[in-house]
Amino acid sequence: MASRGGFLSTSVGTKLLIGVTGFLLFLYLLIHIGGNALIFFGPAVFNNYAYVMEQKNPLLPLIELALLAVFLIHAFKTVRMFLANQSARPVPYAMKKPAGTPSRKTLASSTMIVSGLWLLVFLIIHVKAFRFGPEYDWPAGGRDLYRQEMENLSNPLMVLFYILSMTVVGSHLFHGIASAVQSLGLDHPKWTPRLLFAGKVFAVIIAVGFMIIAAWVYLNQPGAGRVRV
Amino acid sequence: MNLKLRIWRQAGPAAAGRLVEYAADHVSPDMSFLEMLDVVNEGLTKKGEEAIAFDSDCREGICGTCSLVINGVPHGPDRGTTACQLHMRRFKDGDSVTIEPWRAAAFPVVKDLIVDRSAFDRIIAAGGYVSVNCGGAPDGNAIPIPKDVADLAMDSAACIGCGACVAACKNASAHLFMSAKISQFALLPQGHPERHRRVTAMIAQADGEGFGSCSNEGECQAVCPKEIPISNIARMTREYVKAALLAK
Repeated sequence: MASRGGFLSTSVGTKLLIGVTGFLLFLYLLIHIGGNALIFFGPAVFNNYAYVMEQKNPLLPLIELALLAVFLIHAFKTVRMFLANQSARPVPYAMKKPAGTPSRKTLASSTMIVSGLWLLVFLIIHVKAFRFGPEYDWPAGGRDLYRQEMENLSNPLMVLFYILSMTVVGSHLFHGIASAVQSLGLDHPKWTPRLLFAGKVFAVIIAVGFMIIAAWVYLNQPGAGRVRV
Repeated sequence: MNLKLRIWRQAGPAAAGRLVEYAADHVSPDMSFLEMLDVVNEGLTKKGEEAIAFDSDCREGICGTCSLVINGVPHGPDRGTTACQLHMRRFKDGDSVTIEPWRAAAFPVVKDLIVDRSAFDRIIAAGGYVSVNCGGAPDGNAIPIPKDVADLAMDSAACIGCGACVAACKNASAHLFMSAKISQFALLPQGHPERHRRVTAMIAQADGEGFGSCSNEGECQAVCPKEIPISNIARMTREYVKAALLAK
């Protein structure tokens, strides 16, 4: 048999790795949207959440590194797999049509590499703005993340980019969540159809949820006369 | 009825191929798709042209030899049907029909519509078998197997190895084929002695042959003439993990 080192390098092992990392990223998004939704309750609640997460959590650097590793593995393995798959069919079909039911092929599943690469670019911009952007102190402790978010989403073009990117997230998850379940080898006559459906529902909830947050932040900017630093 | 055909012609493995237009006139709706091609070929032969090369054998949907991508779908528009069981009544007078061979690096074109599918044979040789000691024939029911398990194994064993799954997959992946072969043995006690070796060897062979990996789109299960579902692929993944953890 293949050595243990080769376990993740075969076509099935690659799929497992992409499935596990993808599913972890999906779980992270659930936590992320939960935290972000606290912005509706005002700066005190939102900043306190950020304070507890960032200052009261000694494991944060470790979690951040793990998240970065998961993300990089997911991106690296998928891009490499995509390139390898291109060489598996060097001569294209003159005519190729979707085969129809019971195929799960959708626009979302056909554009995973495009939506994935878009999200890579989005995340660089997103993390730069929120993790490495200008910080303001919050009197009760930690940083004024509320103000940071308000400022980051004060530009209509940026809000538009965020909303567009959330459509892309939704598309990626629309195929991704169900696909991860299949990649992990989970299959059951009764539960698989339900999981497939649940994956699509979660994709829509996450995408629309983040869109609402971005739009709400833009529409609830503090007074126009306020001086920005 | 009369049809316009666009057929892939390629003189040999190294030659450049192209789509060539042919007219198929006076086609009876009762003809099978391959019989229609036979008639076109007769016409070509009478004119002194080279007949279109295509694979066929049993012509009753059980051997897995026919391998035509018809209007962009392997085995054509009918569900659970091989190209040989597709009938011309499925088409309308004046239809344009594009016919191409399976497209995959691991299935090189031999000539026209014929591809070399020996990569599948090598995957089977790598592990798709059970070793049986010679001796007296064992009693058929000596090993009790629940009916539902036997049925599931039989559903997987229905794979005729035609390669439509590879042809339909955007990655030209052989996962559905492999997983059907692995499942039919993994489900039955007779397949258990070699199960760990089997799954790792077959996957390694398929990767080496140049097949792609699986994106869980399920185009394969939609074109499979035996309607083999991708739940087999999930089972193959479980077998692969078990093999990595438990193989001695």
